[in-house]
Amino acid sequence: MLKRYSIFLLLVFISFNFSACSSKEAQVPKVSKTTQSQEVADDDFDDFEEEMAVKEVSDPFEGYNRSVTNFNDGMYEHFFKPVNKGYTAITSPGFRKSVGRFFNNLYYPMRLINNLLQGKFHYAFEETGRFVVNTTAGFLGFFDPAKDKMGLEPHNEDFGQTLGFYGVGPGPHIVIPLFGPSNLRDAISFFPDAAVSPIDYKDRDWPTLTRTWAELMAVKSVEKFNNVSLYSNQYEEIRKDAVDLYPYLRDLYEQKRAKEIEE
Amino acid sequence: MMMRRVFVKILFIVSILGFSSNIYASEVDDLKAHFLEELDDIIKIIENKQYTKDERNAKIVDELTPMFDFKLMAKLSLGKKEWMSLSKDEREKFVTLYVERMKNSYSSKIDAYENEKITITNIKRKKSRMLLSTEISTAEKNLKIVYKFYKPKKRKKDKDAWLIYDVEIIGISILKADKAQFKEFLRTKSIEDLMEALATKKTS
Repeated sequence: MLKRYSIFLLLVFISFNFSACSSKEAQVPKVSKTTQSQEVADDDFDDFEEEMAVKEVSDPFEGYNRSVTNFNDGMYEHFFKPVNKGYTAITSPGFRKSVGRFFNNLYYPMRLINNLLQGKFHYAFEETGRFVVNTTAGFLGFFDPAKDKMGLEPHNEDFGQTLGFYGVGPGPHIVIPLFGPSNLRDAISFFPDAAVSPIDYKDRDWPTLTRTWAELMAVKSVEKFNNVSLYSNQYEEIRKDAVDLYPYLRDLYEQKRAKEIEE
Repeated sequence: MMMRRVFVKILFIVSILGFSSNIYASEVDDLKAHFLEELDDIIKIIENKQYTKDERNAKIVDELTPMFDFKLMAKLSLGKKEWMSLSKDEREKFVTLYVERMKNSYSSKIDAYENEKITITNIKRKKSRMLLSTEISTAEKNLKIVYKFYKPKKRKKDKDAWLIYDVEIIGISILKADKAQFKEFLRTKSIEDLMEALATKKTS
């Protein structure tokens, strides 16, 4: 009895599949007929329009944002780019990558807390493993044996992503001088993330890398220049692809953040 | 007797289903193999020191052209409403300029290529779409690039069966980014202005 029943179910399932297929095929000529009368082959859009929908970005500060984007671009062209040229001339790519890793490793408390806040315990665990391994075997984070040797993947999370995870929208887009594109949510999130940064000199119960404002600025500058060296090619490619730099950068930033929050 | 006939029928149907799912799986493998082959060919072109830079880039673009549906990308970057409002000549002109820009953009990315290792990290099929994730490890960082393929109902002339309609770099869809910037541009300027901007970008 049971056997019969299961055979019946299988047949129903199969015939349902077939009927689903045939009804789909029956629809195809109908669709193409209607579009044919309009324009040739524009049913392309029906398949993609939803997927390619572009979200409207809230942008009440457009005027300000545009001028800061111009300022930043000018700073890049006339200050960071020439400095970077000197910096890359005296350092190797491997060195620059290592410096980037060193700073990245230092931001472990931020990643730990934000992974925990989002309930991503296995990521928090993996990040902890990375920090322990890379700080010791990776010579203070200059190397990444955790990933290369042990397959521990990084899981970058910041407070902006945590807020986004709990449904906080990005708010208006804001371009920050020297820093680049951001939005209200991410700009505010900068403060709680800085509060757990081991680079900052403010009163902490744990040892920090800097003790005065001047030291902090010096370290931050090294980090900034190194980052410029890591991302200048990318920025120049973006500049080439842009018809209008400001909205292009704005969209790239908002898309990237949306993706990071989604993950 | 009856039971046996039913059984045979089921066996027959199941074997067909099994076979079709095999086709399904092999299409994924085929695309992966094809992608790797193309990658190999391109790397061979890059490593061939006899070519000048322009020759090399032209050869690579030729190699890539059957993989991309540039025309569809051009259309989608404008969006339905805008595309529909264009005349036939304007459409052709826009597609030409857009394709030219894509090729230039690709060429300049090739110029930046320095023997980085490219690996396929994942390939996923969703109905008539395939997502091929790759990772390119440069000396300075790892870049995640996802190629999005679709399968047109009817195979296009001089094109592969599966065509790339979008590329996602570290989570950013280049098609969406273009759509957003074109939309913004067209809010205050005309389509002629946009085409002019694309044309001048080409020469710079």
